[in-house]
Amino acid sequence: MTQFDVLLQTLTGAGVEFIVIGGVAANVHGSVRHTRDLDIVYARSAGNIAKLVAAMRDHAPYLRGAAPGLPFKWDEQTIAAGLNFTLTTALGEFDILGEVTGGGGYEDLLPHSTETTAFGVTFRCVSLPKLIALKRAAGRPRDFDAIAELELLLELRGSEQ
Amino acid sequence: MEVKTDSTRPMADTRTTDVPLQPDPVIEAYKKDIDRGMLVNNLRRTVDERLRELLRMEAFMDELRRGRRA
Repeated sequence: MTQFDVLLQTLTGAGVEFIVIGGVAANVHGSVRHTRDLDIVYARSAGNIAKLVAAMRDHAPYLRGAAPGLPFKWDEQTIAAGLNFTLTTALGEFDILGEVTGGGGYEDLLPHSTETTAFGVTFRCVSLPKLIALKRAAGRPRDFDAIAELELLLELRGSEQ
Repeated sequence: MEVKTDSTRPMADTRTTDVPLQPDPVIEAYKKDIDRGMLVNNLRRTVDERLRELLRMEAFMDELRRGRRA
């Protein structure tokens, strides 16, 4: 089970710079669709990678879907040498992205994010229009109904103003 | 050295607001089957309430997955 609350509390408590995207971001904006993982875009500075590694070190991060026993090492060198990682952890499924299709990296997404609060912590979440753009850019047929729901949410929010 | 500028090129878009997307007919077709009432109700909740509901849903789904494995 993915413990969205503990993951977000762990990351914010460690001072990690990140922006929530994906299904959790959709739920922030009002989606009623279920998601099994927490997706974040993380800042790729050396300091932030160090904080991210330290935050998750005790939660057994491992490559999701990979055969057990592979020499995957959760450390700063690994994260710095890579970019995007889909992980299984003791806190559930957790995807960390250095760059996302249609959105770029953390600094590119920052102007398209806002702070929000849940589970007693404040974190950044991608805006609804940008979330729609990211999902469209990914171009996956399985996202069509999710995109439709997000666009409806945008319309409903617009009609409230 | 003189730097030449091209006044015919458009200025860089420095807006930080998001640019509206064009409607996609495939996406529009999917909208017909979505329960708008459910979304309206969910928009009345706070972000904290929405994510706590997601967490409850995940706990329920986890129970179902465990049940299938048993």
